[in-house]
Amino acid sequence: MASVKKGLVYLLLSVLVVTQIYPLFWLIMYSLKTNEQILGSSFFSLPTTPQWGNYTDAYKGGHYLKYLGNSVLVTSVTLICVIVLSSMVAYAISRFRWKLGPIVTLVFLLGMMIPMQATLLPLMVIFKNLHILNTRWSLILPYIAFSTPIAVFILSGFMRGIPAEIEESAFMDGASVYRIFRSIILPISVPPIMTVVILTFITIWNEYIMAATFISAEGLKTLPFGIYNFVSQYNANFGAIGAYLVLGALPVMLVYFFLSEKITKGMVAGAVKG
Amino acid sequence: MNVLKVPARTIAVFVLPCLLLYIGLVFVPIVVSVYDSLLDWDSINKAKFIGLDNFKTILFEDTNFWPSVRRTLMYAVFSMAEIPICLFIAALMNRYVRKANTLVSIYFVPVILSVVIIGQLWKTIYNPTEMGGMLNGILTSLGLESWTHSWLTEPKFAMYCLYFVSLWQYFGYHLLIQYTGVQNIPNEIYEAAKIDGAEGFKSDWYITYPMAVPIFKISIVLAFIGSLQAFDLVWVMTGGGPAHATDTISTHMYNMSFLSLKYGYGSALATILVFICLLFTVVINFVFKKVEAKYT
Repeated sequence: MASVKKGLVYLLLSVLVVTQIYPLFWLIMYSLKTNEQILGSSFFSLPTTPQWGNYTDAYKGGHYLKYLGNSVLVTSVTLICVIVLSSMVAYAISRFRWKLGPIVTLVFLLGMMIPMQATLLPLMVIFKNLHILNTRWSLILPYIAFSTPIAVFILSGFMRGIPAEIEESAFMDGASVYRIFRSIILPISVPPIMTVVILTFITIWNEYIMAATFISAEGLKTLPFGIYNFVSQYNANFGAIGAYLVLGALPVMLVYFFLSEKITKGMVAGAVKG
Repeated sequence: MNVLKVPARTIAVFVLPCLLLYIGLVFVPIVVSVYDSLLDWDSINKAKFIGLDNFKTILFEDTNFWPSVRRTLMYAVFSMAEIPICLFIAALMNRYVRKANTLVSIYFVPVILSVVIIGQLWKTIYNPTEMGGMLNGILTSLGLESWTHSWLTEPKFAMYCLYFVSLWQYFGYHLLIQYTGVQNIPNEIYEAAKIDGAEGFKSDWYITYPMAVPIFKISIVLAFIGSLQAFDLVWVMTGGGPAHATDTISTHMYNMSFLSLKYGYGSALATILVFICLLFTVVINFVFKKVEAKYT
C-alpha cells in the first residue's frame, strides 16, 4: 500500500517535471527546424537536420550582443546603486536613534505595495522635462527606486540582529560611524546582500514594460525589449524567432545553472521577508 | 548601547540619497497621477480641470472597465487557487522524496525567465494548427481535431489561456515557498504525533497544514498583489485583445495612457489601480490576522 502511494506521488511529480520543462525543450527543437517542418510535421517530431542557420539569422538580424550589453550595463549599475544606497538606509533605520526613523521605515514599506505601472505616465513626463527620456538613466533611476524598498527591508532585518558589542568596541577605539559601516557592518551583511542581489537581478534583468515605454533608441534597448522587437519584425521566420528566444533565455539560464541553490534560497528569503 | 546617537548630518548622509530618489520616482509620480486624474488632458488639447468627471465616466460609462476589473480579480482567484495545490504537493514531497531540492529547482526554471520569453513561447504553443501550434498538435494527435482552436484570437478562450500561462510560470515559485515552509516544521512534532497515532495524511491535516498558515499567507499575498498588477504577460501575448477580451485594469490603463493618449483618463485608471492595491493589501492582512488567531 505504502509503495503504491509512493509510486503515485512519483508519477505526479514526474508529470509536473514534464509540464514545466517540456515547453522549453520544445522551444529548442522548434528553433532548430525549418519553417516547413514547423508548419508541416507533428509537434513532437525532432528536427531532421538541425538548422543552425536560424541562430545565425537571429544573431545577425537581432543586435543580440548590443541588447545583451545594454542589459548587463543597466543591471549592474542598478545593482551597485541598490546595494550601496539601501544598505546605508538600512543601517540608519536599524541602528541610529532618530525621531523620523519609524516614519522613513513606513514610507519604504508602503512602496512595496505600489504598482509600478501606475507611475509610468508621470515618470515619462518627469523624464521628458529632465531631458533624460530615452537615455539609460530613464531605466536605471526607476529601477533603483523600485528595488530599494524590499532591499531596505531585508537588510535592516538582518542588521538589527548584529550584536551591538562589535560596534561598541570599534566606537571605543575611535572609529567613525562611516568607518564602522564600511569595515564592520557591510562585510558582516554579505549574505543578505547576496539575497538582495539575486532578487534585484531577476527583476531588473527581465523588466520589460519600463524599457518599452521609456526607450526608443535602438542602441539602448535591453534584452527583453529587444526580444519583443525581434519577434514582431521577423514574424514569418519561425525558426529564427525560436532561436532568438533561446538566445534570450540563455544568459539567465546559465546563471541559474551555476547558482540555482543560491537563487532559489534568495527568492524564498525575499518572499518571506517581503 | 543598542542604538547609536549620531548627529543629524550623519543621518542625512546615510538616508537622504536613497530616500530622495525613492520619493521622487515612486511617491511623487503617484501624487502627480492622482492630480492628473482630475484633468481633461490628451495629446492635443491643453489640460483642463474637470474634477471627478473621469472617475464618473470610468465607473458608469466605460464598458471596458468593469469587465477588466472582473478579469483582474479572476486572475487573482486563479493564482491563489494554485497555492493550496502547491502546499499539498510540498507536503507530499516532504514525506516521500528524500532529496527534493533538485526537483524544486527544476520546477522553478520558468520563474527566472522574462515574461517576454514566456509569453512568446506560449504564443507559439497556442498558435493555430496551420502555424504549427503545439497545443493543437497534441489535440490532433489524440484524435481530438474538433477541439482545436485559434486559442488566443477567440475571445471565449483567450483569457483562460493567459491565466494558465501565469499559473504555469509561477507554479515553481509557490511550490518552492511552500516546500521551504513545510521543511521548516520541526520533526519532533511529527514524532510526537506518531506516538499519538497520527501518521501520513492525518499528520498533514493536523500538523502540516495548520503550521503552514503563515507561509501560506505569504504566497497568497504575493499571488494576489502580483495578479492585481497583471500586465506584462497580457501585454506581450495579446495586448488586451481580441476586442478587449483580455484587458485587465493595468492594460486598460496602459492602452488609454499610451495608445489612446488620454492622459487624464489613464491617470484616473492608474489612481484606481493604486487604490485597489492598497485596499486589498489591508483586507488580506486583516483576514489572515483572524485566520492566524484561530490556528495558533
